[in-house]
Amino acid sequence: MIKKVLIRVLVLLLIVVGLNFMYVQTLYDEDLQTHSKELLALRSSIDTAEVYYFGESSNTTFVPEDSTHMSISSLCAQFYPSLHFRNINKEATHAGIYRWWLKEFDKAGKLPKAIIVTLNLRSFNAAWINSTLENSLQAALVFSKSGPPIVNRFMLSLQNFDVRSNSEREEDMLYDWKKRQLHFPYTFPYHTVREWDDAMANGGHLTEDGQWDLKKIELACHYIKAYALCLDQENVRVEDFDAIYQWCGERQVPLHLNLMAENVQYADSLVGKDLVFLMHKNRDFLMSRYNQKHCRVTDNLELVPGNEFIDQNWTTEHYRYRGRMSIARNLAETLKKDLEKEYLKVY
Amino acid sequence: MLFNSLHFLIFLPIVVLLYYALPQRFRWMLIFVASCYFYMAFVPYYILILFFIILVDYLSAIAIEASAGKKRRIFLILSLLSNILLLCFFKYFNFLNENIQQCFSLFGAEFHPINLSIVLPIGLSFHTFQSMSYTIEVYKGRQKAERHLGYFANYVLFFPQMVAGPIERYEGLGNELKKVQAPLYRNFSDGFRLILFGLFIKMCVADNIAPYVNSVYADPESHSPFSVWMSVFLFSFQIYADFYGYSTIALGSALLLGVRIIDNFRSPYLSASIGEFWSRWHISLSTWFRDYLYIPLGGNRVALPRWAVNTMIVFMVSGLWHGASWTFVAWGALHGLLLLGERFFKPLISVDKVGTVLRHLLVIKTFVLTSLIWIFFRAENFEKAEAVFRALTAFNTGLFNSTTYYLAAGSASLLLLGDVWLKGARMDQKLSAQPLVIRWTLYTGLIFGLLAFAGTEKFAFIYFQF
Repeated sequence: MIKKVLIRVLVLLLIVVGLNFMYVQTLYDEDLQTHSKELLALRSSIDTAEVYYFGESSNTTFVPEDSTHMSISSLCAQFYPSLHFRNINKEATHAGIYRWWLKEFDKAGKLPKAIIVTLNLRSFNAAWINSTLENSLQAALVFSKSGPPIVNRFMLSLQNFDVRSNSEREEDMLYDWKKRQLHFPYTFPYHTVREWDDAMANGGHLTEDGQWDLKKIELACHYIKAYALCLDQENVRVEDFDAIYQWCGERQVPLHLNLMAENVQYADSLVGKDLVFLMHKNRDFLMSRYNQKHCRVTDNLELVPGNEFIDQNWTTEHYRYRGRMSIARNLAETLKKDLEKEYLKVY
Repeated sequence: MLFNSLHFLIFLPIVVLLYYALPQRFRWMLIFVASCYFYMAFVPYYILILFFIILVDYLSAIAIEASAGKKRRIFLILSLLSNILLLCFFKYFNFLNENIQQCFSLFGAEFHPINLSIVLPIGLSFHTFQSMSYTIEVYKGRQKAERHLGYFANYVLFFPQMVAGPIERYEGLGNELKKVQAPLYRNFSDGFRLILFGLFIKMCVADNIAPYVNSVYADPESHSPFSVWMSVFLFSFQIYADFYGYSTIALGSALLLGVRIIDNFRSPYLSASIGEFWSRWHISLSTWFRDYLYIPLGGNRVALPRWAVNTMIVFMVSGLWHGASWTFVAWGALHGLLLLGERFFKPLISVDKVGTVLRHLLVIKTFVLTSLIWIFFRAENFEKAEAVFRALTAFNTGLFNSTTYYLAAGSASLLLLGDVWLKGARMDQKLSAQPLVIRWTLYTGLIFGLLAFAGTEKFAFIYFQF
């Protein structure tokens, strides 16, 4: 009986190999288009593109009144007219996704001249790490995994990726806010995000007539939850950036981390110097960790003034045209250190 | 643990290998541990509820057998009450409270109910019903009380069918679990076929229909009447594929362990009448209600008015069994009413004696009627059901999502074709009678469908919630 079973298992395996071939020829691209557009864009450009820009919505968010609707990556590409830039963007994406995208270069056996990766300070916070958008991001990643494409497609159907309910993710986020300690070199009354947020929520801002200024309080609470964290190597996002750093180092691909501008001005006015202190501290941590050897960090943290942010009542990295232009110029300048011959000063 | 998860696809072969590697006297322990592990993958501490049911019914059955007269009845009532109260607490507590509150408000009085925010233990209605059938059978003297706690526990816990049936009798599953099972090639091949077919039906048919149906039911009145009609028909296929798929995987998984469990479906949408539909749909539940409610109420041996009342009681209770909502009761009641109608019109149209063309027309009629009644089952409340009915008859040009529709309609057509081919037979048996080329062509088709066309959104088995 064992022989009989083994023969059939072998035949089934052969059938799967044949079906995989058929799938790749017929339905695979359509599936990528539906579930992982970015991967398709990346794969189809590997032979031609020379510089890659991996980013999220900060790269491509515009407002109608902007004088031009050019992304940061496109604006930066203007400084390198002889190079083919390619931006791979997806909303809410992060280093945990980019690190998988890099593996596509290994599969194709072709490396770019430089890789630019968005370094978003908020992507290290508990809300982003435990975002409800994470399921769809992880689902899109299934096609990046090694293994026959048809098997990856089946894994997607089996939901064999980090899939959790919104309530589970929220639970993890709340736990982090409650437990993770904040460290200051001076005495500070609040030890966790939760404590700080609670204090702010209980009348942190008053209107002129002595009432609670609810709009300001709400926004200030957002700022606390977005930026009140002390980065260390245990942060899952730091692990992801470490992996990107290592991947580029092993292959001698120049890596540029584009530290996005945050609304430090509003953080200061809404919450105060303590929050700005943490933002600086985290920036310094990232700079000292990654700004070495084959990697350069472009520091845009305080480059964009508060009124140049599109979202005035929320914490985002969406900039008006001038903000995007400043970041692009700053990035182009840093990039020059690796691509000096191709650089052309355009503004 | 869901059948359509990698977790299960790894778990099952391990259990099967260990099962045949172990001597017979240890196998019950493996099944017990595997079943506990399977159940605890959902909400771990809910296993305690199952242990409670097992212990109560195990002891009650022994007590029933050992006593006589009134005492026997008391032990039976104790066992039934324990099960029913447990079910009421977890499933109907909030529903009862809401209804008491509404009754109070009718008289202008106030009642502030306590709302329990608890997750319903998965498959509770299934294992309580299965366990109750055992004590009833012991009470009636048709079944001997099981002395081996392990075997009895496995009867309630057996992982292939514990969370959504089929609702087995001890005479069947209990004895199957005790048999000395040798690893037979036939069981492996049939089990594999059934699992492959079941996964295909669940993942390629049900899960591809679900997105279309969900989008229409989310806002029926913004969709075109055609779109709504299609969603009503497609939901019939979705729920069938979902439950039939689950039952088929359960059958196949049990067969890999040499255990035969009963069929739950026999091409129900090829029924020419509601009566026939209920002899082909969720057979294990229908027979449960027939044996433990319908017959004790008098069955067919009563006057027509009493029979009508009994029928309505059985169908309404069956509706309530599915969910703690009046929409489920309405779903059951409508089936009951149609069955009564069929009885009254039987002298005019006898389904058994009609020609092929008329039978086909009757099949279509039955399908349309059951589909319309499913609206109450699918809608969250009467308002939503009403909105669906309004949208069915509205003359507007609303939305029509062709992308999801074609995939859904294609999947449903495949299921229908499969049913026409099977004509109520079991897939593994039908397939084993086919020539090798046809068999392997079908396997290849099913595997390709499963790998390349399975739905990519997560939809738990609908009947798990009951």
